[in-house]
Amino acid sequence: MTDRIRIQQQDFDLAEEYQLLRQTDSAVGAVVTFTGLVRDFEIGSQVGTQVGTEADPQGQSSTKNPIDILSLQHYPGMTESLLETIVDQANQRWNLIATTVIHRVGDLAPKDQIVLVGVASQHRADAFEAAQFLMDYLKTQATFWKSVRRNGEQQWIESKASDQQAAARWDSSDDT
Amino acid sequence: MINLLFFGRLGDFAKQVPLTIEASTPAEIRELLAADFPDLVRELNQPQVLVSVNKMIVGWDQPLFDGSEVAFLPPVTGG
Repeated sequence: MTDRIRIQQQDFDLAEEYQLLRQTDSAVGAVVTFTGLVRDFEIGSQVGTQVGTEADPQGQSSTKNPIDILSLQHYPGMTESLLETIVDQANQRWNLIATTVIHRVGDLAPKDQIVLVGVASQHRADAFEAAQFLMDYLKTQATFWKSVRRNGEQQWIESKASDQQAAARWDSSDDT
Repeated sequence: MINLLFFGRLGDFAKQVPLTIEASTPAEIRELLAADFPDLVRELNQPQVLVSVNKMIVGWDQPLFDGSEVAFLPPVTGG
């Protein structure tokens, strides 16, 4: 198994990462990649809405209050080891040939790439399921914290119950 | 001396907290901070806040040793 785990400020190239997964081994028959992006209203629905802000005079982004910057903090050293643990768990549950997890930190703007999870396997079911598992566990277990800045004010993003529920479904699942 | 780290929103409440402290467990750290930093300790008392020692998640009664790194971790929001 070829596992690549990176935490970095700089952007990543999806095509390059896909090629690395694809070329790992001639037994690879399926590659699934997931890319997470910065949305422009990361917590808009939780903090109330403002219609027709100066930044959005035509209301182009509906009634959300757009963010200027999304900032990602992490716990260096601990985050890497937690991601390794999560990837190890995926390798134990599914038959995987290669896994890539890249998570960016620092300041990001709307539409920027945040995270890449890529999985290569012989058959698609392993790759699909493992990619979902990796994202669900990464979101609920890896030591990253998001905050947003809009109009100069910083606000930490709250964790979502739906993310916890998404991760919990793997606890009782034995249909691997 | 125990080294202290506060992540996420906890950091906003901990700007004036000393970087090191003498304590034998994470629970004792919380008690020692209560008088001077009641808002922070109210946050630390939230059940979803986890504590790690030397980058391993532990219980609040985990024994600490000189040089231990104790981090307080609010619910994570990566991905």
